[in-house]
Amino acid sequence: METLMHFLTVFSDPQLLLLVGLGTFAGVYVGAIPGLSVTMAVSILISFTFSWDVYPAISLMIGIYMGGVYGGSRTAILLNIPGAPSAIATALDGYPMAKRGEAGTAIGVTTVMSFIGGFIGIGVLALAAPFVSDFALKFQPRDYMLLAILGILLVGSLSQGSLVKGIFAGALGIAIGAVGRDPLTFAERFTFDFRLMEGGISFIAVMIGMFGVSEALLQLHHVDKDAVRQKITRIVPSLATVKKHLPLSVQTSTIGVTIGALPGTGGDIAALMAYDHAKRVTKNPDREFGDGAMEGLVAPETANNAAVGGAFIPMMTLGIPGDAVTAIMIGALFIHGLNPGPMLMIDQPDMFWFIVGCLVMANCFMLLFGLTGIKLFTKIVEMPRSVLIPLIMLLSIVGAFAVNNSITDVYWMLGFGVFGYFMRHYGYPLGPVILGVILSRLLDDNWRRAIISEREDLGNFFAGVFGSPLSTVLLIAVVLIFVSQTPVWAWGKSRIFAKKENT
Amino acid sequence: MQHIDPDHHDGTSDATPGGEPDKRRPGELVFALVMLLASLFLLNSAYGIAGFDALSSPGAIPMATTAAMVLSAAVILWNTAKLPLDRTESLIKDILPLTVVMFALFLVAFGVLLKPLGFLPTSALFLIAAIKILGKRSWLWTVGIAVFSLVVVWLIFRIVFTVLMPAGIVPEAELIQFFRNVFAGGAQ
Repeated sequence: METLMHFLTVFSDPQLLLLVGLGTFAGVYVGAIPGLSVTMAVSILISFTFSWDVYPAISLMIGIYMGGVYGGSRTAILLNIPGAPSAIATALDGYPMAKRGEAGTAIGVTTVMSFIGGFIGIGVLALAAPFVSDFALKFQPRDYMLLAILGILLVGSLSQGSLVKGIFAGALGIAIGAVGRDPLTFAERFTFDFRLMEGGISFIAVMIGMFGVSEALLQLHHVDKDAVRQKITRIVPSLATVKKHLPLSVQTSTIGVTIGALPGTGGDIAALMAYDHAKRVTKNPDREFGDGAMEGLVAPETANNAAVGGAFIPMMTLGIPGDAVTAIMIGALFIHGLNPGPMLMIDQPDMFWFIVGCLVMANCFMLLFGLTGIKLFTKIVEMPRSVLIPLIMLLSIVGAFAVNNSITDVYWMLGFGVFGYFMRHYGYPLGPVILGVILSRLLDDNWRRAIISEREDLGNFFAGVFGSPLSTVLLIAVVLIFVSQTPVWAWGKSRIFAKKENT
Repeated sequence: MQHIDPDHHDGTSDATPGGEPDKRRPGELVFALVMLLASLFLLNSAYGIAGFDALSSPGAIPMATTAAMVLSAAVILWNTAKLPLDRTESLIKDILPLTVVMFALFLVAFGVLLKPLGFLPTSALFLIAAIKILGKRSWLWTVGIAVFSLVVVWLIFRIVFTVLMPAGIVPEAELIQFFRNVFAGGAQ
């Protein structure tokens, strides 16, 4: 009963309801405008909402997250420019549909499918999270440490690009997170005797720099690109269309939730995997994939919205973010004095159910805004980049300054912005950096707890790891990811396949 | 998984980082080298925290991570050096065009001027200059758009989010108080 009350908090409070609505609305547009990403929006927003109460701040951010994951599909369909990373796969079949004059249908199907996917994701979150958190109470410090490493490695290896660069980025993030005085012994780490570095580097400055400024600098390459207009016809899809794709959408939602729930991996990867899956299972598509197949829209869009619910599972139960946006949300909860993890679920179950309520609400708003307001939408998306880019830069500076009222943070942000710009150019993923910064403390604390409890003996430590099935599985997973990227793996594979050919 | 590149290999999205899988972009080798040197420097600094004192020392994780950085940076450098250089691109055109350098400098100037000049004048200068350079439209259009967007940003963040920015030469608090008094006076 109490659970239900917490769940309904957001429905009964007009202010919160309004904030979720506003957030979703803003999210749809932020997601849709190429160059504005959800990660960027949420990281800038943290700095603006940190003086608010925790409930309104969370409502707004969840709205933006949910709306943004969906919003990226719009420009993917209309302009062949994915507004957000999670909509990359959507462009493959959405744009050919729009070129055929079926933009309306494409947007309608996308919206409804995102809604269905979103709900499946939230449902799994509501059902699974309490069990996971019960289970998580049995986790040893070493398990947390291994999970954190696994999360950082997963982002590095599953996102496209090379794992080595992912490892470098993740390690860099952990090092950035370690700057300042060590909380346990007060020893200085990476401060180089500068007093202003003793407090560490504000993770918000790192985030805004990497996702805001570097993105804006990169967009300078595309200032002259014109927006293309598309005529949009009927939007609300027929019931028959929805019914026809329901089985596929349930499958791809499952993929979405699972990928989302893996620490470190989110909607962008889920969408690409779901697209691959749809290609494999659809035997006779009406049109070929890549040529405007409806299945090619359904799969990524259900998966990326289902991944939202999934991403909250490790975040709420273990304190380990499911993707870059939840990494930033963990940062927001820290700022509000909350410590996500199994204890949060026990001490403050209201927070969990409130978040589930917000997600449900945001999902409904998404359906509403998705099926209406197309005219307004085309106007906003046509906003020239020559105005948009300076505005992103302005907001980034305001955001970096606002948290601590410190100019130093602005310089950190600019530094990381320029650094991130080069990283993007040379194919280094940015996600692992943010995950590393957020998880640095957790990794450090749990390693020290684990090794102190084993009396500083590595032998005992590994005996402990192999004595527990969970730790063993986690360690094997970490090792496997490593091995899969080395020549040993390719060599082993070629040997196995060679044998098959011989027989 | 299929590699999807919607635009150019510019890393606009987090899922498909930029870079070319089988070619070396201009400046990539230098970047990789700098990363390796920086990692070595950090490893040395991490060793300085506590040395090989104890497995649970405050320097243990920093040393492990910086060691990972050194190793991965070395592998990246090795891999990058093996790739053929992409001759179709140039540093000036594709990696670091003049606009990007100029905007990076603009942002630094923004940071320098923010405290002494105040948020509103600095932002106005920045927006007008930036929009004029990027938009290449008339001064009237430029200044109009810049001032309008600045007012919107200021209203949202100063009033709704109550973010305090350096006032500098503009008597911001007095202005707000003045308008409050006007509205309060009208209500009486």
